[in-house]
Amino acid sequence: MDSIPLSKYTVSFGLSLALCSVVNALIVVVKEKSPAVQAAMQKMTGHHWVTHSAIVIGLFLLCGWSFALPNGGQGLRITANRLIGIVTAGVLAGGVIIMGFYLIAD
Amino acid sequence: MNEIILMAHVVFGVGCLLAAVWLFVDVLNASEANLLRIRRVSWAAAGFMWVAFVIAGYWYVVSYHADKAIILHGPWPFAHSFFMETKEHLVIMLLLMTTYLPIAAANNLAINRDARRLVLWLTAGIALLALLVEGHGAIIATGVKLGLLAKPH
Repeated sequence: MDSIPLSKYTVSFGLSLALCSVVNALIVVVKEKSPAVQAAMQKMTGHHWVTHSAIVIGLFLLCGWSFALPNGGQGLRITANRLIGIVTAGVLAGGVIIMGFYLIAD
Repeated sequence: MNEIILMAHVVFGVGCLLAAVWLFVDVLNASEANLLRIRRVSWAAAGFMWVAFVIAGYWYVVSYHADKAIILHGPWPFAHSFFMETKEHLVIMLLLMTTYLPIAAANNLAINRDARRLVLWLTAGIALLALLVEGHGAIIATGVKLGLLAKPH
């Protein structure tokens, strides 16, 4: 039996979730290591965490919509197994970077 | 009022956790009969998480600095330096995962085996991550309590 393809937004926002989980963690490292970055983020909204959240949420929505545009509006095409692997790897990498950073590097 | 705000974010966080566990079980038995319920509960999980995130964010930005000072001068400074620092960033990831949930659950899970597997992975991840940050919250609260107990009378 042929497998039924996932909807284009399931693929696009899944990829966006994986990407933004890693970006979220990288922003943590950058802002904790660079007082200038943290100060700039603080200045933008009044609190660095609010700016951080806004950037990640905005990027998630932007990438989710953008990844649905290729192939004449049909979105990126990848298998479900690949998508599950990418989402799991992205979320795990994000979590490990955040916890590892505060455990070891900070 | 502060205590109500503090407890409300926990209540909605637990609501999200319970919704994720409910979804996991419902998706294991997905059929045309429970498809609508699965979609509604996936929206509820996302809704609970957004409310918890906004309330917790407000409390963190406006009120947490007092607790932070108590924790850092108490016997469990790691309740802030590790647990709060990681929690405040892990919840952003949790918010994205729960926001993605209704999108993934919009597929016909009764007939689409791949979509079903994706939602099962997602709900399991949400439940585990939610449990982790709830545990972080308990350690942060204990850090405050121990800091207050350690204060000279």
